[in-house]
Order: sequence, then C-alpha cells, then structure tokens
Amino acid sequence: MTGTINRRSFIKMMGWGGVGTALGGCDVPTTVTLEEGKEDVVSYLMPEEYVIPGVGVWYASTCTQCAAACGTQGRVREGRVLKMEGNPNSSVNSGKLCVMGQAGLQGHYNPDRIKEPMIRKNGSLSLVGWDQALATINDKLNAADGARVAWFTGTISGHQKVLLNALLESNGSSKHYVHEVVGNKVLQAVSRDMLGDAMPKYRFDKAKMILSFGADFLGSWMSSPVHFAGEYAKFRTNKPRGLLVAIEPKMTLTGGNADLWIPARPGTEAAIALAIANELINAHNKDAAILPESVRNLIGQHSAESVAKQTAVAADRIKRLAQLLNERSPSLVLAGAPVEGQTNGYAATAAIMLLNHLLGNIGQTIESPGAFAFAQLEATTGGTADLIAFTQNAKDKNLDVAFFYGTNPVYSAPDALKFGDALKNIGMKVAISQFMDETTAQADVILPAASYLEDWGTHVAAYHSEQPAISMQQPLMEKLYETTRGFGDVLLALLQNKNKDKYGQYADYYAYLRHAFSAMPASYKENPASEEHSWNAVLQKGVIKVQTTDESLSTSIAEIDTPTIPASDSAYPLTLVPSVRLGLWDGRHANLPWLQEAPDQIAKVVWDSWAEIHPSTAKKLGIEQGSIIKVSSKHGEVTLKAVLLKGLHPDVVAIPMGQGHTEYGRFAKGLGVNPLKILAPEQEQKTGELAMYATNVKITDTGKKDTVVKIGSTDTQMGRKLVGTVPVEQVRRTEGA
Amino acid sequence: MAVKSFKKMKLNMTAYINIALVLLIGGLLVPAWLLAGDVKPPSGDHNGKEVPQPIEFPHNIHVKDNGINCMYCHTYARRSKVAGIPPTSKCMGCHKTIATDKPRIQKLTEYWEKKESPQWKKVHDVPDFVHFTHEKHLKKFVFDRDFPVENVKEVCAFCHGELENMTVAKKVKPLTMGWCRRCHEANGGPGDCWKCHK
Repeated sequence: MTGTINRRSFIKMMGWGGVGTALGGCDVPTTVTLEEGKEDVVSYLMPEEYVIPGVGVWYASTCTQCAAACGTQGRVREGRVLKMEGNPNSSVNSGKLCVMGQAGLQGHYNPDRIKEPMIRKNGSLSLVGWDQALATINDKLNAADGARVAWFTGTISGHQKVLLNALLESNGSSKHYVHEVVGNKVLQAVSRDMLGDAMPKYRFDKAKMILSFGADFLGSWMSSPVHFAGEYAKFRTNKPRGLLVAIEPKMTLTGGNADLWIPARPGTEAAIALAIANELINAHNKDAAILPESVRNLIGQHSAESVAKQTAVAADRIKRLAQLLNERSPSLVLAGAPVEGQTNGYAATAAIMLLNHLLGNIGQTIESPGAFAFAQLEATTGGTADLIAFTQNAKDKNLDVAFFYGTNPVYSAPDALKFGDALKNIGMKVAISQFMDETTAQADVILPAASYLEDWGTHVAAYHSEQPAISMQQPLMEKLYETTRGFGDVLLALLQNKNKDKYGQYADYYAYLRHAFSAMPASYKENPASEEHSWNAVLQKGVIKVQTTDESLSTSIAEIDTPTIPASDSAYPLTLVPSVRLGLWDGRHANLPWLQEAPDQIAKVVWDSWAEIHPSTAKKLGIEQGSIIKVSSKHGEVTLKAVLLKGLHPDVVAIPMGQGHTEYGRFAKGLGVNPLKILAPEQEQKTGELAMYATNVKITDTGKKDTVVKIGSTDTQMGRKLVGTVPVEQVRRTEGA
Repeated sequence: MAVKSFKKMKLNMTAYINIALVLLIGGLLVPAWLLAGDVKPPSGDHNGKEVPQPIEFPHNIHVKDNGINCMYCHTYARRSKVAGIPPTSKCMGCHKTIATDKPRIQKLTEYWEKKESPQWKKVHDVPDFVHFTHEKHLKKFVFDRDFPVENVKEVCAFCHGELENMTVAKKVKPLTMGWCRRCHEANGGPGDCWKCHK
C-alpha cells in the first residue's frame, strides 16, 4: 500500500469471491460449494487501476511475531493478505522468514480476536465504545499521581517507543517495565561491562570456530533466529568450513547442528570455560597479562583435571577444545540462556566471554556495531528483572494504573512470584490486546488492538546487523474489525488528552509518522524535493537505512566472582530446563494452529506438553516413553507425558514452554502445562533477572501411560542407510586425522 | 532486392531460392488457427440449473445484438486466473446514457447510487484444490494461435457455452476432471497432476 492510496478506499474494493466477503464481514461461514447459484460473487464497485483480481501484489512491512523486527513482504490479493515472506531489503533476515512469521496470518485472521473495547463493571466485562473506554482511562490518569502509573510492555522500539516515552513524561512517570521471557539480558550486561556495548556485532562469517555454551543462535539466542541462521550459513560455507561445538544441558537446534555436542549440567559451564582458559594460558601460551590478577588466580584454580571431576566432562576433551580454539583463530565463544539463568549467571557468563579476550577475538569476530543515528528509536529489550520489580511494586501498593501491551505476565510469571495477587492491588489495569490472554482477562479496561498486519509502526532491531535500519510497518489490508485500533493510535489518543497543543495536530498515528519522516534529514529521502515520492519509496523498500558512526569496543575485565556450581539437592535431584520451542516461543503463539501442529525441532513430538528425560535417568526411575509423570519443584508441580531423549544431560528434565494456557482462545486454552509456573523465584545476583535454569525438581511416576504423538517414531535408520555414516575410528585410521 | 522492371529481372538460381524461401516463410505465417483440426474443443454437455441473479443480465443483447467482445467486460481473463465480474463502474460507463429507461438498468443505477455492487451468484466453479487459470487458456487458444481476438467468444464457449444465446449464464459444460483431461489430451495440454493440483 502506498501513501497515495486512500486507505478507506479498500473498503470499497470489496473482495472477489464468497469466502472473502464472508470472512471480512462477520464470523458466519459462507457456503463453499460447486453447486450453481449458492456462492456469492461480488464485483468491485470501482477498482483501483492497478488491481487485478486473482493477481497478488507484494507489500513490504515488518514482522512483530517476536522482537527480532524482521522485514517482511505480504502478498495481497483482492484487498486481503494471504502470504507472508521475508523482505530481501532487510539485513536482519535477508528475505527469509521463520515459522512464526509465516504463521502471523493466523493471528490476524484468528476467530478469537477481541473486537470491541470492554470495561469491567461489578466483576464482569461489558462492551463499551472507544470514547467511553478512553474517557474512563483519562479520568483515572488525570486524577492519579503520575509516579503511580506504570506501563508494562514487551520489547519496544521506533516511534511507538518515542510516543510511549512522551506519554510517560506527560504523566510524570518513569515506570516502564519491559518484559520478555526469551532474552539475553545477562549477556547484555556482561557485554556492556566488558566491551562497552550491550549488543556487539558477532561476526560468524569471520569465525573459524564457534564454541557455544548454550547459545541457541539458530533458535532463541538474541531473539533473532533468522538473522543468525543466515550468519551460520556463511560460517559453515567458509573455506575451511567453520567448526561448531555446543556445550549445553538440553540439545537445542544449534546443538543438533554442532560437530561436537557436549551435555553439561546447568551451572557447570563456567568451570569448563575457566579450564579451557587455563589450558590456553598454560599449554598454548596465550597472554594472560590482559587479565587482572584475581581473574588469573581464578583460572589457575581450574585445571582441566579438577574441572573434569566436578563436571564429568573429560579432561582430554577440555584440552582438545582449547587446542582447537588455539588452532582456529579467530574464533567466537558465546554464552546463552542456561549460563545466564543461574543465580550467579553474570559471573558465569563473564567467565565464558573472557575466552574471547584471551583468544584475541575482540575486534576480529566481535565488533562494535557503531552508534545508531537515532538513539531515541533504538529498541528497549525486555527481560525478567522487570517482571520481578513490577510485581514487588504492585505488592507494595505503589501502583494505581498499569497498562499492559505486547506481553502476558500473568501467564509467564512463576506461581511463587504471586503475580496474580499483586495485580489485585492495582486500581485500574488497562490491557491493549488482540486476544483475551491471561493478563487481558484480569484487566479492568480492555482496548482491542489492531493486528500487526493492519497497523502502522516503525521498528529498530535490537541487534544491529551489517546495515542497521528503521524497519517500516505498514498495514497490508484494511482492518478486519473497524472497532480495533493500532497501538500507535492508542498512545496518540492518550497523549492528546495530556498535551493537546503538541499532539492535537495529528489526525492519527499515520499522520504522526508522516510528520516524523518529514522531519528526518534530507539524506534519508530518495527525492528531497518530493516528500510524497520519498515516503512512497521508503514504504516500497520497507527499510530506512541508517548511518552509523564508527566506534570501537573497549576491553575492560574487572573482577569476576567465582562461579560456583550449584549444589545438588537429594530431595530434588534434577534441574529443570524450561526450553524454547521454536514456534510457540514463550507461549505467545499457542493460539496459532499452524504452530501448534508443528513438531518440536529436536524431540519431534507434536501437540500437548511433555517432559524430556534421558533414557538412563528414566530407566533408574522406571519410566518409559509416554509414562504420565509428575514433575515437582518446591513451588509447584505439573503432570505430563515423559519423552525419552538422548540429547539431554542425565541430571536435567526439559519441558518446552508455550502450553498450559488457562485463557487465550479456543486453540490455546486447556492444552498441556506451563513449566514457568513451577520455577523457583531465584534471581541472578547482579542483574536481578529470574534465574530460569536454577530450579531443582523431582519426578514421580503416576503409573499411567499415554501415547506420544511423534514424527519419525524411531531414532535409528533400521538398517536402511538413509544417511551414510562412517565411525570416527575408521576416519582416523584412513584419513590419518 | 530492388526490381525496376519485371522483364529485366533475370531469374538465376539465387532468385529461385529466394522465392522458394519467401513462399516457405509465408506459408509458416499463415495463422495457425486456419489450419484445420489444430484445436479440438472439449466434448460433453451439462444441463445446469437456471440461476436467478439480482439483475437478469442479458448476455445475448451485449454479445449477439451489439457485438461486444467478452474481454471488454471480463477484462481480467487474459491477465489473471479469474475472468472477473466487471466492476459496477464499468457497467455505468455505458449505462449512464444507454437504455436508461429499461427496468434492469434502473435497478443497476440504484445499486450504483447506493455505492453497492450487485450480489451476483456464482455459476461456474471448480473446487479449491484445482488451480484453473483463464490467462493460460487464453494464451494457448487465442494469443499463441493468432486467433482473431474479435472472435474470442468461440473460445470462451469451449467451457461456458454459447453465452450469446443466454441471458444470465447457465452451466452447460460439466467442468469435471475427466472433461478437462480429455481436452488436455486432445490439445496437448499439460498432463502433470501438479499443474492443476498445486
């Protein structure tokens, strides 16, 4: 859609074909039949010149299915968006799009969308108009003490962030909590302290070896799976081919692709890293002078042999890893969620990232992304520390009004945090939401949000790729429900109440964006003489490339606390891994049937929830595939099916996140269990993030069994030689390696 | 080859070859559709229902009496998989002035003034798992054959019958898979399953 098209004219261009018309108008399914005279065919009243029924046109926009901000293009036919793909102009995803982005259509056309504003009166929700809903909010805001007003959102960037900041300021509030379950806030803190940049550029293409400590960059690491999958492809097609080693408690998609996969109990990774550092200094003469003395001492205490005893990773293997890292320079050492999710996650992450300094990777494979020219548009990434801080504030009765958008804390907060009870202390809870999720169901005022395929916006990826850019989000079709509103429009309406002089001039968020674009320097415009031309050019490309100024990383290694290996608990002998299932993510996509029916990438299980257990552990406990088991922590229990999986450390039990919704529409509600609920409310000591990999659990068998629905029911090839393999010994013998 | 006088022209070997070439190439340029038997329309009939439409649109008056080309109104047929019901604005292009006293045109004008399109009923349809495209069929039977576009109704009639003798359309061909296949076999159309089922 270009700026010149009157958006309203789309309503005139009614869909061609009965199915289209019926979906657009109401929920009643139309008759789909071959019989003559049953289906309606409605022609255009007056078509736009370029419209040809049956021929799709692709329009650029931005995906908001996760925080990665991939550029997309959507195929639009007869005024309806039918297919999503990646936008090749976006260097975040270079024309590719993941399964979650593809399934975005099902969120847009979802039958469970909230269509009208609602207000809770005497405990039950009733439909109201926008005017009344906004008046109720404004009355409350005008009376409230600004410091007692909070916003609780997911990762936010672009002009939505600018407006939100303006709104907070006009209320005199600074309480903006940003919450994401899947994120790397601890790694960001370590990078900021050690390198001077929270999100440096990781040059996979220049690395000859990657050693990943639980950094699932093909899945959830840095919340940009498509970008890193592209970078990974460059790394693997290099000559010589890049070598990937993964050390993690549960095999992730990245681990499944690794040349060497080493299972490690969560909390032992830092010791392994320090032992590698020890080897690099002592056996490979790496210069330890760059490290402070206390860190040198710490490394000195971690010999390969002593660590091997603590972690059950053989000393030979640690030595071999050090040798490989030494041979393959430059390399890249990465840390991910299992390391960060410890109570001493910061120290553990620092101990791992230290290897990059020792190996001379800083400036080689870890670079500064440079300074982004529009700092006010840069992403504010979310974590779990804000969830805990918000809960505490609500518990302490410090909040009168709270707005929720783009996140579902009632679902993601562990039971032990008592988030639901804390919410009761907030006078007015406003949810801006597309669906009746768990948080929205608790709200006093519900504002129906337009889907991301109906909304305007700008987004800046938190992780800057080769070409940092502002990614444009434009509606790909007319709103399905007239009574929904875009997030930007809601912010603007609230701002207009506070500051009519400044924001009254904008008829809608689109007008605000046009104004913001015209205020940009001329160098960002294709034809500075024509505002209209430049704007259309930007919408066609989908991205505004932003210049960055060169900066270099600082290298400062301060003290590192001794990373301690968590003591095992005999009553709760296993560690819980709440794993990310690419597709359902943190549970936000459980209402999209395409993603519900997509099998897990590693376990290959479809539907429901399950607990992954190592076969040796299962044998000890007398559990079989499909046994119904209880996984209990000190803070709750969940009952689910057991799935035996070799890609797991024997001391852990992994439960994929995403299921166990008590609300969230017909496709999500009542399926499976939510492992986040039984997490211990432990915090990472330095950053305050939730220590998500620090919950000890035990398993009890209920004695019942159920079928596990799984594609590829066997792990062997049954002698069919589908993939030819040669034993390592034979390669060593014949190739002399 | 500039020839001033026919008498002066000496016919040598080269000239004979040239003439032969001209005849040969000329022969190739004869419209393929003139050569008998190159296209075999699908055989088989269907006795469809009378489908009442919001306006009893007279195809016969438009096609037979006034000689309007099918693709004048069904303008998307050569560009898209669907032929398209003409936009109401197209109808009004003529009927603002033509036949404004006729009840059917008055009904159409009412729609137009209300800014609504008539809710037509679909007559010809194939299942959703069949990918049929008007564009490719017109390319094969009209444009690639140099078939005179003014006679396109003869090609349309393969699948839609003689609309020039109907008012509103009626399904008179089976549009079944066997019927499609027989035509594809007779005329060298693609035989791969996935050409239609994709």
